Amino acid sequence: MGADLEEEMDERLAQLAAGGDRGAFEALVTRHRRAVYRLCWSASGNAADADDAAQETFVRVYRSLPSYDPGRPFGPWLRKIAWNCGLSARRDGTAGVSRVAEGDAPEAVDPAPGPEEAAAGSEERRRVADAMADLPAELRMVMVLRAVEGLSYAEIALAAGIPAGTVMSRLSRARSRLLAALEGGS
Amino acid sequence: MDCRETRMLLTAFHDGELSDADRVRVEEHLRDCRTCAALRADLARADQAAGVPDPGPAYWDRFNARVMDRVEREADGPKVAVLRPKGGWMRQQLRYLVPAAAAAALVVVVVRYGGMNPGAPAPTGPPAASEPAAPEPAVPRNAKAEPEPGAMKKAERPAVARIAPPPGFADERFAAATREERDRLADRSLSAGKADASRESAAAPAAPSVPSPPPMTLRGAPAGSPPVTAADGMPSGMQTERKKMAGAAARMAEQQVAAKAKSDSGTVGVEDPSASPCELARTLADQERFRKAEAAQRACLAQDRSAPAQEKGLVFLAELLDRQERFAEADAVIADVDRRFPKSRPLDLYRQRRPEVRKHLE
Repeated sequence: MGADLEEEMDERLAQLAAGGDRGAFEALVTRHRRAVYRLCWSASGNAADADDAAQETFVRVYRSLPSYDPGRPFGPWLRKIAWNCGLSARRDGTAGVSRVAEGDAPEAVDPAPGPEEAAAGSEERRRVADAMADLPAELRMVMVLRAVEGLSYAEIALAAGIPAGTVMSRLSRARSRLLAALEGGS
Repeated sequence: MDCRETRMLLTAFHDGELSDADRVRVEEHLRDCRTCAALRADLARADQAAGVPDPGPAYWDRFNARVMDRVEREADGPKVAVLRPKGGWMRQQLRYLVPAAAAAALVVVVVRYGGMNPGAPAPTGPPAASEPAAPEPAVPRNAKAEPEPGAMKKAERPAVARIAPPPGFADERFAAATREERDRLADRSLSAGKADASRESAAAPAAPSVPSPPPMTLRGAPAGSPPVTAADGMPSGMQTERKKMAGAAARMAEQQVAAKAKSDSGTVGVEDPSASPCELARTLADQERFRKAEAAQRACLAQDRSAPAQEKGLVFLAELLDRQERFAEADAVIADVDRRFPKSRPLDLYRQRRPEVRKHLE
């Protein structure tokens, strides 16, 4: 994978990858993996399932490349696959139970902080992360796509398959719930 | 525009979805109405809370290789079992992948030659393969297996590590330019040949920093010393030498990182497949080695002069200074960010966290 590939448009990379260019495929993986992971996390609500789903997403993308139409934008196509993988990862097993699982954040890297250590700040962070994980998946999705990925209503509507007006109402509900969680602990 | 109308439009306004005319009217109202302005601030707070925890650099180091392995297996034959046990991989990897390459080198040395030393720590897991070389060999901080005689009680341990967001988490909170740009910045060091390199080095983690043992003969061993074989061990004097060499190799690697960062400074966009000071800074900060992290972060800032990288990078530098209790310097960096990037969101976020960061230093 060379610097030239990094500058290519997604659609062109997808075309090259469909033709068997592994470097082009890996360039797509590198470019989109974080967004895919976040979307999978928002679908599944926990890190372990997000990991499975993110991996699965790219395998499915690879499999589906022959049927991908380079005339259509790559991003929404990829997001749709990622979202579906995230939802099915959640359905597969224990998903949703572990919520902010041990694999999620600092605690995972430096395991087992006792509750007595949890300072006010990390408590708030955890409360918020819990609130995020507690959101219904469809609210979490619009929230992540808007607040984290910075997509427009139209792009979110496309990714979620819902009208733009619904995007706005879901965003309002999601924000209200997150705010309630923030207020709840203070 | 009155409050009622403003509130109807507020979500769309906040999300940048209003027409110019409406946007101007809402802005005017927000300037005059503190209640509505507070509602707007709430929306921003909710957005800040919406971060997704990032699994950290060690996770991303392995991500591509895992995908490509599966893809290649698929290409080789019909769809064989591609599903792996759920959940286990990442939790395990997160525990073990954090130590950097030099630490891994030390582990290898200890594992290979430590058999003669009953006090040597047992191997704790697969060594990290592709972190940039860490400055000095260190026992992985996650190696919790060893007992800590007289160790501080949990509650007494410095809380900074828990409070400090992991590298990726901090990234989540920094909203520069577009999400994709930030991801790209985060991936700078991992692009190009890095992923391949990481796969190769995964196979031989110690190769770059631990030279293979020099030829030695038993004649050279002190009289009465137990027989050793080239494969199993070496006299204890040699062990010490070996550790020194590993340390020296790690220091050399660090110098190379620094030299490379220096030579690359000013050449925006040059990829450095061997090491990224930016990533090194995050890794070191995660290990609470804030002074070294600061040095790496300064190299990072010199390397990438793009506005989003500077904005985010300077805020991180301020945090590193704060964590060294160099508050005045941190203040100066913050003032600089304020001047160069008015209304910086990364800075806003850090300002919110800053009292917490400082509180935990006391």
